[in-house]
Amino acid sequence: MSETPTYIGFEKYSEHVPASIPLAVQQATDRFVNGRAARVAELPQWEELRQIGSDIRLHTIENMDVYLMRLEEKVEAAGGHVHWAETAEDANRIVLQIAKEYNVKTVVKSKSMATEEIGLNHALERAGIEALETDLGEYIIQLAGTGPSHIIVPAVHLKKEEIAALFSEKLDINAPADPIALARIAREVLREKFLNAEMGISGGNFLIAETGTLVLVTNEGNGRMCTTLPDLHVAVVGIDKVIPDWESLTVFLKLLARSATGQKLSTYTQFITGPRRAEGEFGPKEFHLVLLDNGRSRILRDPVGRDVLKCIRCGACANVCPVYKNVGGFAYGSFISGPIGAILSPQMLGTQTARELPYASTLCGACADVCPVKIPIPTILRHLRRRVAQGDQFAEATLPAPIRAAASLASFALSQNWLYRFGTRLLPGLMSIFKREGWIPHAPYPLSRWTETRPLPPFTANFRSWWRNVRSIQKKDSSR
Amino acid sequence: MTNPVIENVRRSLGRTAQTPLSPRPAIYEARQPEAIDSETFLNEVKKLSGVAQKLIPADIDSALKTLVTEQNIHKATAWETPYLRQLGVTEILNSLGVKLISPNASKHEMALCELGVTEADYLLPETGTLVLHSSFAKPRAVSLLPRIHLAIVHPDMLRADMHQVFAEAKDQNYLVFITGPSRTADIELTVTLGVHGPKNLFVWMLDG
Repeated sequence: MSETPTYIGFEKYSEHVPASIPLAVQQATDRFVNGRAARVAELPQWEELRQIGSDIRLHTIENMDVYLMRLEEKVEAAGGHVHWAETAEDANRIVLQIAKEYNVKTVVKSKSMATEEIGLNHALERAGIEALETDLGEYIIQLAGTGPSHIIVPAVHLKKEEIAALFSEKLDINAPADPIALARIAREVLREKFLNAEMGISGGNFLIAETGTLVLVTNEGNGRMCTTLPDLHVAVVGIDKVIPDWESLTVFLKLLARSATGQKLSTYTQFITGPRRAEGEFGPKEFHLVLLDNGRSRILRDPVGRDVLKCIRCGACANVCPVYKNVGGFAYGSFISGPIGAILSPQMLGTQTARELPYASTLCGACADVCPVKIPIPTILRHLRRRVAQGDQFAEATLPAPIRAAASLASFALSQNWLYRFGTRLLPGLMSIFKREGWIPHAPYPLSRWTETRPLPPFTANFRSWWRNVRSIQKKDSSR
Repeated sequence: MTNPVIENVRRSLGRTAQTPLSPRPAIYEARQPEAIDSETFLNEVKKLSGVAQKLIPADIDSALKTLVTEQNIHKATAWETPYLRQLGVTEILNSLGVKLISPNASKHEMALCELGVTEADYLLPETGTLVLHSSFAKPRAVSLLPRIHLAIVHPDMLRADMHQVFAEAKDQNYLVFITGPSRTADIELTVTLGVHGPKNLFVWMLDG
């Protein structure tokens, strides 16, 4: 995952999902769903916390300019450098410039969705700089050359035997198919890289405007290595990650790990305010914060769609999504998958590129029920479907013309009483042409898309006449 | 003078440089009356696969001896704080034949240590969390690079909740919450400890 996609064919991608992916993904999602439920049950004030979390995120979005200015001022006061990137290309250029200035040859990275979004690894590699993912799952998929199948456990679709074969081939060793042994091998390989890399790159879970502090949440400790050992620390973070103050942070730290992995807190939470303060102290000499816009400020224009920027990237919505569980992360064709991806990608990449994604949902609403900051995902999905089908003030309709014409025709037919009634009388006759032994095994296009996988039951009655019958029987009964 | 990103944000929100900040929503959630006690803290550490116990200062000698023997420790490093000095941690380790590396040695040397000893600046009982500052006397690598992290702590370090810790610590340039040993479930969801950070976390609560 790296280059910005030009078209996301969700439907086509999901047809080619190997059977092993939904199985592995469901094992992961079941574990996270159960873990989350257990942690939530322990906190009687959970719903209250969600409401406050939502209120604070919305407040921050509505006042984002003020908090970003404050953040910049505080980071610089702490001795850090702030860079503003309007686009993905700007962000990559800024990071490359820093790397060149310090003659960086190896970069160690901790898991970051922002750097996936901008395709930073490819930009670094093209410049001849080795960029290593150090989160175990990210390291595995980097070696395999694939994208993540799950936000928290990106390599969950790979079996230990496949990972052993991958390690054996890429690292020229004889790796056993044992998770603990494989983790030890990765530890040794990456330890060497941590100690020798000149630059560490991280994302960020939150940015505290009050003091200019980067908050980074990890479980493995690779995030601490990347931000402690190299002399240079560069954080690439979306402008939506800013929060007002430390008091607000207490709310989000309580919500995040419980929603993501079912932990009370992740193993390591770091609070980084600028570089090290004293010469000779452990820690990076320089701290650079790259604040990434890349379409976020454009999303802010839409008062319905901008709620997507409240997201704290826990992945809880994907874990409960019946569509995601059956297709996994790849089908969403972007750095972010699941329901949140279905509302973010069309806004970030445009409804031309991602017009199929708002339809990658059953609108069951499970995502909205678990979202720790109460993003109304189904509402935004419908909002974006309308944008795709009819166009709105932000974008023109992008649904193909034949489908749009069919939709207008249906809309007209359903709004005219006489036409509707005529249709209900016409259909049973039409369908009987295709009826075989009480079922319709093969229907003409477009209904053939249904009958390819299962037969269609024919209409046997129409509701209006059925209702009239029932009513007349009831009347007879009551008059007796 | 502002930059294009801020300009774009303002234009999208219909704001100007003069638009005042609206008040932040209150954080009114009922804070649970957290039990500020050592037992809760130690139990939470145990739940996270850490080894937690209470000790009296007189027992620190024998506890370190057991640790060094059982964990086969040859090289160690420790924070140079008054509390650890007063407990004589480095002297005891020395007497057990363990080679001590300065906590401000190079990262390559530090990575060779099997044991890193720290105290803590605050403890959060509800989550079993150690909160550590960073300074010349308290280098971050001591709790990160060695295979084993031992934190010798005191009930005075306990705080009710995050609100209290943040009120005291938000002006630090670096702070880390450590909640159990390094863990991952990235391969077939098998929980594996010590993937990058310490594999073992020992917490000794000194009473008295």
